[in-house]
Amino acid sequence: MDPVQLLSGAFLLVGAFFFIAGTVGLIRLPDRFSRLHALTKADNVGLGFIVLGLMPLTPDLFYGLKLVLVWLLVVIAGATGAHLIAKRALRGDGEDVL
Amino acid sequence: MHRHPVFAHPPAVLSRAIGFALIWLILVGPDSASWIVGGPFIIAATLASLTLSEPRDRSLSLSSLAGFVPYFLRESLRGGLDVAARVMLPRLRVRPGHQRYRVRLQSPQARLVFIDTISLLPGTLSADLRGDLATVHALDIETDVVEDLTALEQRVADLFGETLAPVSDRTTAQRSPADGAPTREPPGLPEDRP
Repeated sequence: MDPVQLLSGAFLLVGAFFFIAGTVGLIRLPDRFSRLHALTKADNVGLGFIVLGLMPLTPDLFYGLKLVLVWLLVVIAGATGAHLIAKRALRGDGEDVL
Repeated sequence: MHRHPVFAHPPAVLSRAIGFALIWLILVGPDSASWIVGGPFIIAATLASLTLSEPRDRSLSLSSLAGFVPYFLRESLRGGLDVAARVMLPRLRVRPGHQRYRVRLQSPQARLVFIDTISLLPGTLSADLRGDLATVHALDIETDVVEDLTALEQRVADLFGETLAPVSDRTTAQRSPADGAPTREPPGLPEDRP
């Protein structure tokens, strides 16, 4: 096994660890807001490492850029979604401010 | 006279169209036939974005962006490790609570970036923004969020070329629930119900 594959495998394992941590947080944390913490942060970092691990295995540049784009969109969607869920949980009414 | 934004801001139209074209290129790859579908959608996306988000004269500062990206990645990693350490240890180390922070950024775009980034920083989650007052949820109520948020806000301000108004009463750090007190939510912060 060549070193590139080893490195890529290590990154994938680290990414998987963060996803597991996020899931454990979802189960263990006491309230809605704290669970959002676990999901947004763990997903951001976990998916980041998965993308990093897949990067050396991509056949061409476009494939790699596509993975980065996926990560970027997931991060934006995750953070925005967490904010909206938290806001609705806090208020229960009202209009968007932003 | 009211002019359509397409004619009012040619540079914004051009840069947005190029941006959407790049995304299409990344998604589909270098296939010239794909532009038959992609071309109309790039035009539609550009028109939609001009309607949804009014172009501004100021633009992003690229040098600040170069500094912001490593900062964002480093803080993301810290945030992930922090959450992982808190939940994976046998004894759950959390004492959740809300704090307030007065936002000084002006433009909606800058505020959006700020609000979204708060959630990825270690220990904080942006829960609400009413006027200038943001409600930030902290995993550990003991952490002082104001210092981290001030640093982040300054970076976002640099990114969008804004100058922050001088600090008057930024530390509106109301903490709830109070330390040691039985956890009863104050009015206005409903606890999650089944």
